[in-house]
Amino acid sequence: MIKAEDVSLVYPDGTVGLKDVELHIEKGEFVYIIGPSGSGKTSFLKLLMGIEYPSSGSMQVLGQAIHKDEEKGIRNIRQQMGPVFQDFKLIRGRTALENVVLGMRFLNLPKAEIYFRAEEALQRVGLKHKKSSYVETLSWGQGQRVAIARAIARKPTMIIADEPTGNLDFDNAVNMLDLLTSLKEKDTTVIITTHATHLIDELDEGRILYVDNGNIDNLSREGAAL
Amino acid sequence: MRNPFKNTAYYIKEAKTIFKVDLSSNILSILSIGLIFFILTLILTGWLISNNIVEIIEKETEISIYYNEGLEKDSLDNLLTKIGNIQGIRDAKIVSEDESYDRMVDILGMEAKILNHFENNPFSSFIEVKIEMESLDHILNELEYFQDIDYIRDNRQVIDRLQGIISIIEVLGLILFLAIGICTMIIISHIIRQGIYNNRDEIYTLKLLGAPDGFIQLPFFMEGLFLTIIGGGIAGVLWFILIKLGYGNIYNLLPFMPLPHGDEFVWPVITFLTIFSTFVGIIGSRFGLKSIK
Repeated sequence: MIKAEDVSLVYPDGTVGLKDVELHIEKGEFVYIIGPSGSGKTSFLKLLMGIEYPSSGSMQVLGQAIHKDEEKGIRNIRQQMGPVFQDFKLIRGRTALENVVLGMRFLNLPKAEIYFRAEEALQRVGLKHKKSSYVETLSWGQGQRVAIARAIARKPTMIIADEPTGNLDFDNAVNMLDLLTSLKEKDTTVIITTHATHLIDELDEGRILYVDNGNIDNLSREGAAL
Repeated sequence: MRNPFKNTAYYIKEAKTIFKVDLSSNILSILSIGLIFFILTLILTGWLISNNIVEIIEKETEISIYYNEGLEKDSLDNLLTKIGNIQGIRDAKIVSEDESYDRMVDILGMEAKILNHFENNPFSSFIEVKIEMESLDHILNELEYFQDIDYIRDNRQVIDRLQGIISIIEVLGLILFLAIGICTMIIISHIIRQGIYNNRDEIYTLKLLGAPDGFIQLPFFMEGLFLTIIGGGIAGVLWFILIKLGYGNIYNLLPFMPLPHGDEFVWPVITFLTIFSTFVGIIGSRFGLKSIK
């Protein structure tokens, strides 16, 4: 599913995003990527989505090499992903339903199926009653749930959530992670970045990767708690 | 099976949304495009009118051939037939001395009494030859070999000047046509670039979600196309009003000018405007999208 071999990422200004990363993530895994701000979590997600390319080493996502010459392949990977961005990236001037639908319009799906999935996803995140509301009128938490609905409606092979607990208090953050856990389908890989390590204790499921100074290591739950 | 028109309603709605995002600027752009197209239709109208006049004048282009006055009737008929067979000659006929005299009386009008001072008719008979203007050199070359011809009045100066005017009209028309076409394309591509800039966040989000370029670009393409077609429509309406109200007056005021009737060029101009605005819209939109890449 995800295979990184000796991957490094150095930005044009010389900042090191990732260093010699060796990593395998299998289909259906639930993975938390934790670490302090600026440690390289977002750099890793950027590589996963083909926003950045490895400076050295090789990286494969869903069997496709992440390389600047693989524009079509990267688009194909993105179509199989359900991203939940830190700032949600909802499209203003559109309703919640339109935002969820828009994420599927270019997929090879019949129109009726698109609308069915969109309504169903909004129901699963508890926002069906807000489907006709413009996203700019929704609260921060509601906006986040629309972003999640957009991700799951696509029935992706992989869900990626960047700091979904970022602006939430403890209870709401746990609820958010619970929601993402409950929405996960059997074969879907879920990758969540967070710097709120204390939350992970609250959840049973998931492998933990610790990122620091661009290095990624597996971490036990005890280690995360410490 | 994939339905290629599945997203048509979405593209149209998106194009409308993009239009509304920068409403005032887009309205001004439509008016600019409309006015540019209006100028283009005026040029086209002028070109059609001048073409019509030139065509009429061309039909009237003639040379006068003065022949040996002692020529027998049979020889004259033979000469007339041979002249008529030269390529580029529309018509050839003999104008008698009396007819020449009468024509001069018509030309001189009140001053015709001056002709009374001549004891005899001072005019000779000649062969009046209507020719195709561009064949003048060829005809004169052919006539050189005719022994019974004394003198040819070829009106070369007038014909050369007329051909010069025609060339200027054609070149000027082409330059203006190209200039306006390019102007419109630049405006359209700029509008599209502006639209893409205003919607850059949305475009980036769609790219991250894996949307193909065609899906992202089509609403912008449609917006550009709509702007030019609406601009073309405005130009068409303005031009039609002008023809109905203004051209009729000119037509009645200048009865001596061989002007075509206004209705004769309504369909050519409207058809041209529709095709041209669509073409410019497509090219301008493509150019705008390509330059963003």
